[in-house]
Amino acid sequence: MYVAMQPWPACAGAAAPRRPSGPVRVSADDPAHPRLIRAVAERADRQAFATLFAYYAPRVKAYLQRTGSRADQAEELAQEVLLTVWHKAPQYDPARATAAAWVFAIARNRRIDSLRRDRVAPAEPDPTEMPAAPEPADALLAADQQAQRLHAALAGLPADQSEALRLAFFEERSHSEMETALGVPLGTVKSRLRLAMAKLRLALRDDA
Amino acid sequence: MITHHPVDATLVAAAAGTLPAPHLRVLAVHLAHCPACAGALRAAEAVGGGLLADLPPAPLRADALDRALARLDDPAPLPEPASVTPAVTLAGLATGRWRRITPWIAMMALSPRDTTDSRLDLIRVRPGAALLSHGHTGLETTCVLQGAFDDGTAQYGVGDFAEGDPALDHQPRALPGETCVCLIATTGALRPHGWFGRMVRPMIGM
Repeated sequence: MYVAMQPWPACAGAAAPRRPSGPVRVSADDPAHPRLIRAVAERADRQAFATLFAYYAPRVKAYLQRTGSRADQAEELAQEVLLTVWHKAPQYDPARATAAAWVFAIARNRRIDSLRRDRVAPAEPDPTEMPAAPEPADALLAADQQAQRLHAALAGLPADQSEALRLAFFEERSHSEMETALGVPLGTVKSRLRLAMAKLRLALRDDA
Repeated sequence: MITHHPVDATLVAAAAGTLPAPHLRVLAVHLAHCPACAGALRAAEAVGGGLLADLPPAPLRADALDRALARLDDPAPLPEPASVTPAVTLAGLATGRWRRITPWIAMMALSPRDTTDSRLDLIRVRPGAALLSHGHTGLETTCVLQGAFDDGTAQYGVGDFAEGDPALDHQPRALPGETCVCLIATTGALRPHGWFGRMVRPMIGM
């Protein structure tokens, strides 16, 4: 059973759905994700966590399955990712990342850790580890607005650019394999990613 | 001043988690010098978040939320080794032993070939000396930690990021001045040109 696709940001109502796979209600008055993460950080707010869980856990599971995990592994890893959201909520900095980007980075790192046999080499600097700077009150709102602009920009990308991005993020492929998957030369893949990122960076700018 | 940056495809691969760890270490050195690229990586992660939000949700086990709620009071797991901030300075990175390859080139292995067939090394080249003329069978990324080099088409100084793919053949040369030290990640094997390169290749384990 799939939840109907929600427009970003699909925030559930204050009453968290007990069945996470059920439809998620959206209301304009509902607090957005950055505020829910802040509520978890400041008050250990389980209701806020349940709302975040209902939204992100099924998507994190989908992401992990897309990138090669079996359904049962993906279910377990999604649990761990959302538990990390609970524990690391105080480190979320809305001035540095949208809520979805923060959850994505946690999921990505968890996926890499689960794949890595050699756990010696440290990975890249982990944005989830950055100490959160005290943010102005409107940073939470700004992070949410940024996510909405990004969502609109993603929806407006030409199909070939959006396809190249999806392959880069969600399929476990090297660029030369992407070349084969898309049936175009590597230079074309790279230029599609470049064009896409140029537009998306523009959309992410605060003065956009 | 930084003039050479990673291409977007490389930043996207880093954000997506598909760039092999040795290349991430090289990228981390560049990011420490380049706030613009650090911002571009955050933008790429934001795109990852946007795509995550757009994914059709996968159905969860019926008790998924209850299981998570029941575990909230468990102690937080220890930080993952992956979240250790990597060294980005020459002093922080050069923790191994230099091995002389030629009278003017030395290398220090930092991580052996991993499951992605990628390895990480420091390379130290006397000013004015040429590295081996070589091509690659896979991605090579380099960031300058000290001194500067010229790859025949452009000059690279401290913090500059160079990347080559299998189509690229080059012969970098260290510029006069300080000894040039670079952090270099290679996927696959180098393809040295000429009898000398073929002779030293087994010596340097490339």
